[in-house]
Amino acid sequence: MDFSSFTSAEQAHMTKIIEKRQMTDFLKMYANLTEKCFNACCNDFTSKALSSKEDQCILNCTEKFIKHSERVGARFAEANADIQAAAQQQQS
Amino acid sequence: MSFLGRGPGNATNGGINMDKIDMALTELDTVTDFFNRMVQSCHSKCINARYAEAELNKGESVCIDRCVAKFNDVQKKVGEKLQSRTAANAGAAPGGFGAL
Repeated sequence: MDFSSFTSAEQAHMTKIIEKRQMTDFLKMYANLTEKCFNACCNDFTSKALSSKEDQCILNCTEKFIKHSERVGARFAEANADIQAAAQQQQS
Repeated sequence: MSFLGRGPGNATNGGINMDKIDMALTELDTVTDFFNRMVQSCHSKCINARYAEAELNKGESVCIDRCVAKFNDVQKKVGEKLQSRTAANAGAAPGGFGAL
């Protein structure tokens, strides 16, 4: 995204809104991940406490999701950079 | 440009062009939504739900790379198809489904 045409007031306004979005996005991701890891790891309700196996599963699930989304982000950024480079080449 | 008709909610725009902000936010939201969908789809397709370890294994990593590439290609294809249909239906309608 190109914010170079923004005035400093507009940039400040934009930053504020983006920070708010990041907060809500994070909370949404948190809720989503809770559901995902709960469904993947918790299937036995003979006890109300998390077993050590469930505990480990949840830690792995969380860690793995973070690594997953980092990798997707990296590939996504690369693809976007390629598109931008191609568009620039077409212009010149 | 005039912001006078924008109501009390946007009354405090000291030199801020709300239209420009709105447009940038729409773009941001579109890209964010696209990215989140990609994360969800590729996660459900590539990640083994047994969670025996916390690392992405080789197969999963390769799967993610290909999944992202394909997801992008699908977006492009669907966009092209929609655009050609819209163009065919409405004559010379300017489409909005180009690059991000």
